[in-house]
Amino acid sequence: MIRKYKNNLIFPLWLRHPFKRLKMFFGLSIVLGFATQVMADDDGRTQSAAALDIVLQEQVIRGTITDRLGNPLSGVTIVLKDTPSRGTTSDENGRYTLSVPENSVLIFSSVGHNSQEVSVGNRREINIALEDAETAMDEVVVVGYGTQKKSHLTGAVSTINIEDNLQGRAIADIGRGLQGVSPGLNVRTPSGDVGSEAPIRIRGMIGSLNGESTPLILLDNVEIPNIQMVNADDVASITVLKDAAATSIYGAKAAMGVILITTKDGAKQEDVEFSYSNNFSFQDPWKEIEMAGSAGIRYSLDTYIRNGNNPVYIPIFVSAGEESYERTLEWEAKYGGKLGVDDPWTYGRDWYFDPVLNRRFGVRIYDPVDYLLNRWAPTKQHNLSASGTSGNTTFHIGLSTMDQSGMIKPAKEDSFGRRTATIRLSNKVNDKLTLRAGTMFSQTDRRTPFIATNEQAHGFWYYMYRWHSLWPHGYDESGDPLRGTWYEAQQANTESRKTDYLNLNLGATVDFTNNWKAEIDYSYWNQEYKRTQPGTIYTARNIWVAPSPRVDESGNPVYMNRDGEVVPSTDPGASRAYDFPMESYSANTLNPNYYQRNVSNFYRHTLNAYTVYDLNLDGGHDFKFTGGINLSTYDGASQWGRIDDLIDIVNPQFNFAVGTQTTGGGASWEAQLGYFTRVNYAYKDKYLLEANLRYDGTSKFPTDLRWRWFPSFSAGWVASEEPFMQWSSSALDFFKIRGSWGTVGDQAVSSSLYLATMGSALSDWISDGRLRNYVGTPSPVYADITWQDITTLNLGIDAYFWNNRIGVVVDWYQRDTENMLVPSPGVAPTYGASAALGNFGSLRTRGWEFELTYNHRFQNGLGVNVAANISDAVTTITKYGDTRSIDSWYVGKTYGEIWGYETDRLYQLDDFVLDGNGNPTLITLTSADSEQYAGGRANELKPGPNGEKPVYQVALQNSSNFFFGPGDVKFKDLDGDGELTPGARLVDDHGDLRVIGNSTPRYTYGFRLGLDYKGVDFSMFLQGVGSRQIWRSGQLLIPGFRPSEMSMPKVIAEDYWTEDNPNAFYPAAYGNGGVSTTNNFQPQTRYLLDMSYLRVKNLTVGYSLPRSLLSKVGVSSTRIYTSLENFFTFDNLGGLPVDPEEIPGVVGEGFSGHSWAGAKAPMFKSFSFGLQLNF
Amino acid sequence: MKFQYRFKYLILLAPLFVAFSCKQDLLDRMPLTTIVDEGFWRNEADIRLYSIGFYENYFIGYNTVQVENYAPYPNSNFSDDMVSNSTQTNFENIVPASRVSTATGPGASWLVQHYGPTWNFYWVRKTNIFIDRLENVAKPNLTEEEYNHWTAVARFFRGLEYSMLVSVFGDVPYFDRVVEDTDLDYMYKDRDDRGLVMDHVYNDFEYVLANMRLDDGNQVLNRYIAAAFISRRMLFEGTFLHYHGGDGTRAEKYLALAARAAEFVMNSGEYSFSNDYKSLFASEDLSTNNEVLLYRTYDEALLVRHSVIARQNGSGPPSKAANLDFIKAFLCVDGEPWQNSTEPAASSFSIADLVASRDSRFEATFLDFANNTAPSLLLTTKHAPRDIVNYIGPGKPPVPAEYLFSVNTTDAPVIRLAEVVLNWIEAKAVLAEHYGGMAVSQAELDRSINAIRSRPLAPEAIAKGVRKTAPLSLAALPDDPGRDSDVSPLMWEIRRERRVEFYMERFRLLDLKRWKKMHYMDFSTKPDYFLGPWIDFEVEMPALIAPASIGVLQVQKENGTVVTYNGSNASDMVGFYVIRGAVNRQPFGDEVYLAPIGERQIIEYEELGYTLTQTVNWR
Repeated sequence: MIRKYKNNLIFPLWLRHPFKRLKMFFGLSIVLGFATQVMADDDGRTQSAAALDIVLQEQVIRGTITDRLGNPLSGVTIVLKDTPSRGTTSDENGRYTLSVPENSVLIFSSVGHNSQEVSVGNRREINIALEDAETAMDEVVVVGYGTQKKSHLTGAVSTINIEDNLQGRAIADIGRGLQGVSPGLNVRTPSGDVGSEAPIRIRGMIGSLNGESTPLILLDNVEIPNIQMVNADDVASITVLKDAAATSIYGAKAAMGVILITTKDGAKQEDVEFSYSNNFSFQDPWKEIEMAGSAGIRYSLDTYIRNGNNPVYIPIFVSAGEESYERTLEWEAKYGGKLGVDDPWTYGRDWYFDPVLNRRFGVRIYDPVDYLLNRWAPTKQHNLSASGTSGNTTFHIGLSTMDQSGMIKPAKEDSFGRRTATIRLSNKVNDKLTLRAGTMFSQTDRRTPFIATNEQAHGFWYYMYRWHSLWPHGYDESGDPLRGTWYEAQQANTESRKTDYLNLNLGATVDFTNNWKAEIDYSYWNQEYKRTQPGTIYTARNIWVAPSPRVDESGNPVYMNRDGEVVPSTDPGASRAYDFPMESYSANTLNPNYYQRNVSNFYRHTLNAYTVYDLNLDGGHDFKFTGGINLSTYDGASQWGRIDDLIDIVNPQFNFAVGTQTTGGGASWEAQLGYFTRVNYAYKDKYLLEANLRYDGTSKFPTDLRWRWFPSFSAGWVASEEPFMQWSSSALDFFKIRGSWGTVGDQAVSSSLYLATMGSALSDWISDGRLRNYVGTPSPVYADITWQDITTLNLGIDAYFWNNRIGVVVDWYQRDTENMLVPSPGVAPTYGASAALGNFGSLRTRGWEFELTYNHRFQNGLGVNVAANISDAVTTITKYGDTRSIDSWYVGKTYGEIWGYETDRLYQLDDFVLDGNGNPTLITLTSADSEQYAGGRANELKPGPNGEKPVYQVALQNSSNFFFGPGDVKFKDLDGDGELTPGARLVDDHGDLRVIGNSTPRYTYGFRLGLDYKGVDFSMFLQGVGSRQIWRSGQLLIPGFRPSEMSMPKVIAEDYWTEDNPNAFYPAAYGNGGVSTTNNFQPQTRYLLDMSYLRVKNLTVGYSLPRSLLSKVGVSSTRIYTSLENFFTFDNLGGLPVDPEEIPGVVGEGFSGHSWAGAKAPMFKSFSFGLQLNF
Repeated sequence: MKFQYRFKYLILLAPLFVAFSCKQDLLDRMPLTTIVDEGFWRNEADIRLYSIGFYENYFIGYNTVQVENYAPYPNSNFSDDMVSNSTQTNFENIVPASRVSTATGPGASWLVQHYGPTWNFYWVRKTNIFIDRLENVAKPNLTEEEYNHWTAVARFFRGLEYSMLVSVFGDVPYFDRVVEDTDLDYMYKDRDDRGLVMDHVYNDFEYVLANMRLDDGNQVLNRYIAAAFISRRMLFEGTFLHYHGGDGTRAEKYLALAARAAEFVMNSGEYSFSNDYKSLFASEDLSTNNEVLLYRTYDEALLVRHSVIARQNGSGPPSKAANLDFIKAFLCVDGEPWQNSTEPAASSFSIADLVASRDSRFEATFLDFANNTAPSLLLTTKHAPRDIVNYIGPGKPPVPAEYLFSVNTTDAPVIRLAEVVLNWIEAKAVLAEHYGGMAVSQAELDRSINAIRSRPLAPEAIAKGVRKTAPLSLAALPDDPGRDSDVSPLMWEIRRERRVEFYMERFRLLDLKRWKKMHYMDFSTKPDYFLGPWIDFEVEMPALIAPASIGVLQVQKENGTVVTYNGSNASDMVGFYVIRGAVNRQPFGDEVYLAPIGERQIIEYEELGYTLTQTVNWR
């Protein structure tokens, strides 16, 4: 290749040598930080035509080759069609110059793009935009232990477009980037907690009631513990294997699908390419969190009045009563919106103490969001990579760093960080042997305030929603902090949960002949998890205990008025001022007064060795034989140590504490071994067959049951290759029908299911001055426990039209989980233990997937690409003992179904027989009123307009003092028997209950539109769920869930039934005692939450700078962009502070949050911008 | 090139090498850190480890941290002694949808209104496995003495669990062997008659009394401790059957065992009333207290702590406090009820007079001045050390950290001699009154009630003028005007002694059940339930004479008139304190004696063609 560089301060010529440049670059990087580019003066021309001899009768053609986005393409091969030996390649700016005979035809080709033929004619400049090959059927797809031409695929396999979905997005991990991009791949983001992992499922939500139901995630064929470890920038391809035919070659762990990630290896050409990209984003809750102010207190007081409490006040640390409520209204009128975060909690104005009741009452309304939530938290990402080829060696080096801020405002630190470094090297020793080695290091660090005490159990965010608006934050008048979440998060030291992952792999490819090769790869990884919990001691104004009267410096009592001013005791509004004690309330052994460190190490050895033999016989018979072995062992060990009673809370360490020391630890191991073989057969690219067989063993089952054979078969028919389909060939480029069937074993269950284990630990019983050890009860087991079998039947169609511009992929599948591990049927409570698990159950998932793609570049240079997908899955129980209970897994139950009542309306005063005071009358029902509930007590109902006997809802009165009255919910007597009952809650006797919804996402869809024109690109990505319901739970959704805590969303507090608001949406106030399914809040249609949504996940506008500008500084391409993530959401939740992607109790994979829906870090939207640079 | 070939062959052979060189046991991976049933039960040490698993469940003491189950916390105390300043906790009045608990933690499975376990057979299985493994696995490795002792330990816990299940549910299915999950007929059998169940329990207890070691180490179950529990369980069952019109023959048999077991403890000479009353509940170390058969140690260094003091320290408000009905139950020091007493202050109910004129346990149980963290202004400090008084009230220093939540470390008595003697005397008295037993003698009263009354007094109490209460004399039994007509004067005094002695110790509700006196829990019957002690607000609680009290603060005069503070009648605010906000519970009936089982359980039985009968009086 002929290159000429001008002298240049930044890149002198001697540095152009790839390795020298590399070395120099890292040196520079360290000194200057990433990519400190200086525009250098450069007046050069890239290549001078004059330098070439011009052959007469030939003409010199030059031009620029770009990809569909207008980025210059280097390394494109340009040859003469007639004389393929003559040609050139494009340079790093996409330019080429070639001398050709007149009227010749040029072929432009490049890996990953469609080749294009162009007649030169008499043109001197030919600029070409090559189309991506991704729509082309001869794209090569990574599949289990090998690659496959896309047109030859017979299983359900999807590939993910890395560039479109992962690059330049303000997302923390690949998992989030995969949401909505492929049908049947379900990624859910249940919280905005930074560092939480998005749960991933393939095809439906569940594969087994006992098991992980999670897909196998392989990074270069090695199972990785967590997809978050991988830097999106290192990824070369992602393939999703969905049916058994595609996954069975991975055996034991692949029952729930496989996500294959391959990383980038060296560049294709003799050069070194650098690339640098960054992203800066700012995140904020996706919608305003609106909690109730005084209206919520009114609601709670109403619940207490209804409970017959007199006098009314709500006993809690900071109480509310009728009198304080009046003062709150006055406060709102006078001070509402005028006092801010810096204004102290002032006696008299903001709270007062009632010595008679021995209670302190709050007056001032606080919005916890102001104190606790960090707005527009920043995140930054940098990626840097170099890859290249030198002789027989290719390499890729990648570095990345990400720092994401969480949203805990008072915290010293709330963040998630990740650093990765990867190296891949490969050397082609000779024609036969290629050696490779690689390493990947990844470190994630989640840093949060170590608040402990109660917050440790429930999480910080629970406390943004738990307490009512009278609960103070900030300081009191003396400038001391007030005990509470705000203070504790501020005072807490930073807990770190750090994971180091180091992967080393070695491998070789041996090409025995050009159609027979062997691959062997050994990989070892070590994951080290380190959790450090440096405690502290809290010292604040303790509002949990009684305050004491305030005295001034000379010991005289202090009186204050309602404006918080010190006044003489004789002043009309004066009352004695009180102060809470300033004290340390975390005693020497209490949370978080300790220092603790946990360390766990996990090791995995993986060996993959297989051989592939291609046999191409005359007449179009193509065979491929694959056989190999897969071995994986996993060992883990952990230990922790703790010391109580810190003497240094600024720098807590083991050495700086004087209390009790405790320690513990554990160890585990498991192993899988499998032998596999595969045969592929293709006849004239038209008839395709594939068969897999795997023999698998796992350590999880007893010796005699651990080995199993798992077969799978698939076939495809490329109808468009048939002569009789010629008629359609003008429009239809490709049409394939495929089908597959296969069985994979699932062993993703606990290791000791077949062993009657006896837990052992220290008890809390002390004798002779020490804690006594004990050994627990043996667990009930089935000794003959074995694999769960997951069988998938898949039918699919792939079709491409109009020069592959439009692609359609349709799949239908049925996945049966047989021998599912479920509790042995029919075990009564008298058994005395949870039933042992055995292979007694089955379930079936049926679903379909549809994918549509459209890619086209118009003559004027406008490129359009569209990708749309939608899928659905329904899981039903097909075997589960004889149970018929709707609360259990009866046969025929749809996974996720919600049983409930149909709501009629709210009762009004008119419905009841009223006494002289206008109150409903409580009667004891006779058998004439209700045959079934005679003897029960209820408010007397009037007969219907035509004298119909009223239906009493005694069965739904779950609290001893709850009787349905005005403003309460009236349900429908669906079975018309004159009683409102749940029946026996059996499938064949469920009274007035019916299935009212389903909590699994149905009709999940994604839609992407990309446009580019002359360097400007725009993309929009929408994602949504067509149908999903959940039943309300917890304080954010159930009105009156725990009225003593009084917190509730504004929309509830401002719209509940009272005599003055008879058309309210929510029923009359009542305290439900912390239960989400009682009294007025029986699961029912009226209050079922519609969780369907459409979310604009991403909007991006980018601009690629013109090359003419860039080439002067030796840069081959630069793109700047800005994007909005999660910015617009269309949901049906009204103003409830819950995200439509909410999964109650789940924060992310491996993390569980508070069981209340929504009581976790708010989901966020973000605004970002960034730069992508290649040079 | 040679190298290259070598390499090629090496790679070719590698999979085979791996396939055949793997250790045979690559996949044999037994748990590394877990004990497995098979291979356990090797010797007495193993068996002892298993037995420790029962201790925290049955020997709760003050429980741990803030768990109120079975422990003396005022908030969940459910009796006629205490009242809250809101609606009183209602009795369950609806059959629950399900009554199954799979909780296996100590004391985790309990029903507050029965002070007993819920429908949970975890502990039955645990004991049956214990007995089975002793018999079928461990026996060859044990001496006869060891075998007998450990079988007695296992049978003791089984008897204890079943007697508690019976006290909650009445009839329960009895399983004397481990239920196999394949044996549905056995698993799904209907409830057995409580008499039949308790006969099994009786047999277990007889075995225990014959075979358990007399001493097996400090704070370890032995025959005396077992006997004390046996007297408790047998007294419950015997009197329950008697007062509820059950099988008289069985009642007599159980009461006889109650008396015999108690007597075994009393006759041992190991235990005596050596220390003052408060030291039983508020001592850091109970090892030297001869009254205590078994106690639970709490230790800061070992992180085993409770929160009982935290509800009695004047800063963590208890939601319930003693009412006037309970105050009136205390005898005056002359051994007479207040109506009959000749003590000068007998008719006074001001706290100061009560301290000086009433049974010494009043002083040891309550704070000796009014405190408004208690709903009745009478703060229980029974479990708090005496120095707590230095931290309660205005102007006092803050409560020290060790008396705050979750960090209290006073030892808890698990079972003590006072209960044994009171079980004994009551069993004797019922046998005498109804089953032809020998009449209770003065000597027997002296060994029981009078022995308790002659406990040493604390010097701090003596300094306040507290005196010992006169002994109970058969010849001059008090004639309490408030006595129920169906209870004999002697029995009335035995019951009073229990009420005063066991205040807040989780006995009162169970006593009301077995005596068939649950109607005492209906607070509409007596105004005293909603009143506190006699208070002179101007003197005792001047802080409450404040504008905020206007229209709120109330006292009741002796004649029943209620005076409400109006801002100018401070001097008239003298009388029984009217507890603010206290409201009676919902009406209830005889169903409250036993707990219902869940509707779901009944249906589950039906589904499989079996029957599970609902508890009597429930539908």
